This record gives sequence, C-alpha cells and structure tokens, in this order.
Amino acid sequence: MATRTAHSSYRDRTNEFRSAVESARKQLNVGASSSGGSSAGSRLDGSKAVASIQSEFNRRASKIGLGIHQTSEKLARLAKLAKRTSVFDDPTKDIQDLTAIIKKDIGALSAAVADLQHLCDSQNETGNISRDTTSHSTTVIDNLKNRLMSTTNEFKDVLTMRTENMKVHEDRRKLFSAAAGKEPANPFIRQRPLVNRGNSSDSAPPPAPWATESSESAPLFPRSTLTNRKKGNGEASSSSQPLMMQQQQQLAVHQDSYMQSRAEALQNVESTIHELGNIFTQLATMVSQQGEIAIRIDENMDDTLANVEGAQGQLLKYLNSISSNRWLMIKIFFVLMVFLMIFLFFVA
Amino acid sequence: MKITALLVLKSDASASSSSSASAGGGDPLVLANATDVSHFGYFQRGAAKEFILFVARTVAKRTPPGQRQSVQHEEYKVHSYNRNGLCAVAFMDDHYPIRSAFSLLNKVLDEYQKAFGDSWKLAKSDATQPWPYLTDALTKFQDPAEADKLMKIQRDLDETKIILHKTIESVLERGERLDSLVEKSSDLSAASQMFYKQAKKTNQCCTVL
Repeated sequence: MATRTAHSSYRDRTNEFRSAVESARKQLNVGASSSGGSSAGSRLDGSKAVASIQSEFNRRASKIGLGIHQTSEKLARLAKLAKRTSVFDDPTKDIQDLTAIIKKDIGALSAAVADLQHLCDSQNETGNISRDTTSHSTTVIDNLKNRLMSTTNEFKDVLTMRTENMKVHEDRRKLFSAAAGKEPANPFIRQRPLVNRGNSSDSAPPPAPWATESSESAPLFPRSTLTNRKKGNGEASSSSQPLMMQQQQQLAVHQDSYMQSRAEALQNVESTIHELGNIFTQLATMVSQQGEIAIRIDENMDDTLANVEGAQGQLLKYLNSISSNRWLMIKIFFVLMVFLMIFLFFVA
Repeated sequence: MKITALLVLKSDASASSSSSASAGGGDPLVLANATDVSHFGYFQRGAAKEFILFVARTVAKRTPPGQRQSVQHEEYKVHSYNRNGLCAVAFMDDHYPIRSAFSLLNKVLDEYQKAFGDSWKLAKSDATQPWPYLTDALTKFQDPAEADKLMKIQRDLDETKIILHKTIESVLERGERLDSLVEKSSDLSAASQMFYKQAKKTNQCCTVL
C-alpha cells in the first residue's frame, strides 16, 4: 500500500540523515584538523559534542516534523474517503485500515515527542549550553506538540464525521429496504411510519381504528410473550414460544401487507385525484382558447354585417337615383321631342 | 365475489394458550351468525352450516387478540379479526379483495359494540337469536365496493375520469367546429366587402345613364 511505503520511507530517511550528519561531522573534523592544536581540538571536541547533541536534537525534531506532516496528509485522505462514502459503495475496509495506520503513527509521534522532550531536559542538565539553545529547543518541542495535538483533533473530527455518515447511510438503507419485511423483529415499530404515510389523504376514519390497534398491538405482543413465559411450567411452553414467535412474525407480516395494501390504495386514490386535477386544468385551457376563437368569429360577423349594410345602402341610393332621376325625365322628354320632331318633319 | 357467512364470536385472550382447564373454555362462543347457504343443495345446507360454525370456531380460537388473519380453506377464504376478545369471522370466495373483507369486519364489530355494548363479555354459551344487521350486511356487502370506502372512492374517481375524458373529446370537437366557423365567417366578411365595393362602384361611376 502506498501508505506502507510512505511509512517505510519515513524510516529510511533516518539512516540517510545520519550518514549526512556523519559526513558533515567529518567535514567539521577536517576543518578542525586543518586549523591544528590539541586545545583547539579538545575545544572543538567539546563543541563537536555539543554540535552532535544539537544535531541529534535537530535530526529528531525534523524527523518528528516530517512524521506529523505525513500523518496529516493521510488524515486528509481519510477525510476525503469518509466524506465521499455513498450508500452502496462503502470502502469500509480501506477506511478502517487507514484509521489504524493513522492511530499508530500518532502514537509513535507522541512517543517520539516525549523522547525529544526527555533528551532536551537531559541536555539542559548535563551540558553547558547557551540559553538561546535551550529556548530554541523548547520552542521547537512546543511547536511539535501543538502540531501533533491539532492532528489528533482533526483525526477525532474525521472519526465522528465517519460515524455520522454511517448512521445516515443506515437510515437511508432502512428507508429503501422498508418494503421488504427483512427484520421481523421490528415490524411493530415500522408499522407507525406506514400509518403516517397512509394518513396523508382524506380518509381519516378507516386508518384510525387500525392505527390505534397497531399501536396497541405492539405493546400487546411483548405482554403476551411475557405472560407466555410466566405461564411456562414446563408444559411444552418452551417449545411453544418459538412457535408463538413464528406465528407472531407471520401475523406481523400479514398485518404489514394489509397496511401496505391500504397505503397503496390510498396512494392510488391520491394519484387519481391528481390526474383529475390535471384533466380539469387542460379542459379549462382548451375552453379559454376556444373562447378566443369565438370572439374572432364574432368580430368577423360584425364586419360582414357592416359591409352588407353599407352595400345595401349603396344599392338603395342607386335605386333612388335611378328611380327619381330628374335627368332621366329630361332625357325622356328630349327623346320624345326628338321623335315628335322627326314624326312632324316626315309627316308634314 | 360472494360472502357466504358472517359471524361474530367471543374468543377469550386466554383461549389461545394451551391451558385446557375447562372443556369448552378453549372454544370461542358464537355471538351472532348470518349464513347464506342458498347455493348448496337443500340437503347439504345443514351440514354446510355446521361446517361453517366449526371452521369459524377454530379460526377464532387461533387468532390472537389484536390481529387479523386470512386462512384458505378448500374453496373459501376465511378472514378473521380479533379485537380485544371480540372476533369477527367472514367466509368469502377467493375473488373478494382482502382489504374490503377486513374493513367489513371492522364495520361489523363497530356495529356490534354499538348495538350490544359490553354484554357479550358475559356470554357463556352460543347466542341463538339472529342479528338482523348481520343478515342485512351479508346481502348488502356482496359487492366489495360497498364495504370498502376506498374502493368506492376509487370507483367513483374512475367513473369521473372516464366522463372527463369524454368531455375533453367533445371539447376538442367543439374546437374543430369553431375553427371551421372562423373560416366561414372570414370568407363571408371578405365577400361582403367585395359586395360593398361593387355597389359603391356601380353607384358612383355611371351617372350618364
């Protein structure tokens, strides 16, 4: 696993670091021997010892810091995994492995910090180290402790979030699988949600009798089992108990299907009413559209009426003009005169 | 969809345990009985009645209080509902919906409690007078829709839905007719306009003759 290799690489770095420190010390030795002098050498030895102790401290502190950083990375991964869990795809095993690893790391890191503190205290007692060094080392130790504490708190938060998620998933799973009577021990409790769902529509009296009965059948059952147990005098009562339980489970399943059929019927009724509502809405829409059409027809008819009336007026005028035309009289008279003239001319 | 028999029995809560202190103490007592054995032959009616009584007693004895139960016996379904020791049993054929059966039993029990109060608790032997409500119920509730309000509502709603479908179809037809009327009226208005113009033209133009 990647975390395992990260864990092992965390260990490997120790040796690398030690060798780097050795080489640095050798360089320091070379530098010291080039200057020469035994007193200088002894002083340098002393300072070398101090430096070695100091480098030991630094080494350990850097190791711990690295460990804390890696642990917080793993924690971030764990948090992502815990958040992402869906109902069906649950990487429980991975999460548990990661949790165990992180717990081990945190334990190791806290032990290492304690060791470091111990080393720092021993240094303070033995060596003649300057005040700055001690303050520096205490600061470093405090910093490491704070980081470790914050990591631990984050770990705790992630664990609580994980447990909450698990609970939510359990509830959701129970909701989805509530139709199948998987747990016969719990139908007494589960009858109530069905009662509540069935009460959503308007038929209140029929659910009420069996709602009250289901609520009193639930306490009746433990009571009847208790009375059975009390009456058990070795009269094959112990063998009748599993039979009773089976019967009760069967009856509870029967009761459950009865309730379910009622709930189903109510849902059917509700959906039918909903459809009816839809149909009425559509009807209203269609009728209003047709109302518009009727108005258009009405306007058309009005226009036609106006046109025809106008035309009729025109024709009447025409008729009047034709029938009572003064010009016509003059024209007729003129034509008559013409004929008279012609007649007179030809005859006389 | 036939109800063959309706019975109301008194079934003690302790009758379901196997303590046989008194001989008849385990058997439920018949409080009301209504049977319709007309479809049996004349000579079999008595035997059929006895058979019904026996099966009803057995089923009522085996139904624990506060529980509903349906048992299949030969060609009949026996539904029983035990409520605080008062047990109603109904013999129906297989087509009768179970829910209506239980709502009918509910109704019968309510009526019985209303009619007789708690006097049934003191009954020591089978009641022999017929209860008119039960016989009426037997005939009235041959139709399962009568017994179960839900079924009645569902049936009414279905009828309403059918009527509404027809309404919508007729509204669509009306829409079509209105469309054709619109066409015709617009044609008419155009024609009348042409007529008007023609009349105006005739009037204005020829003033000569």
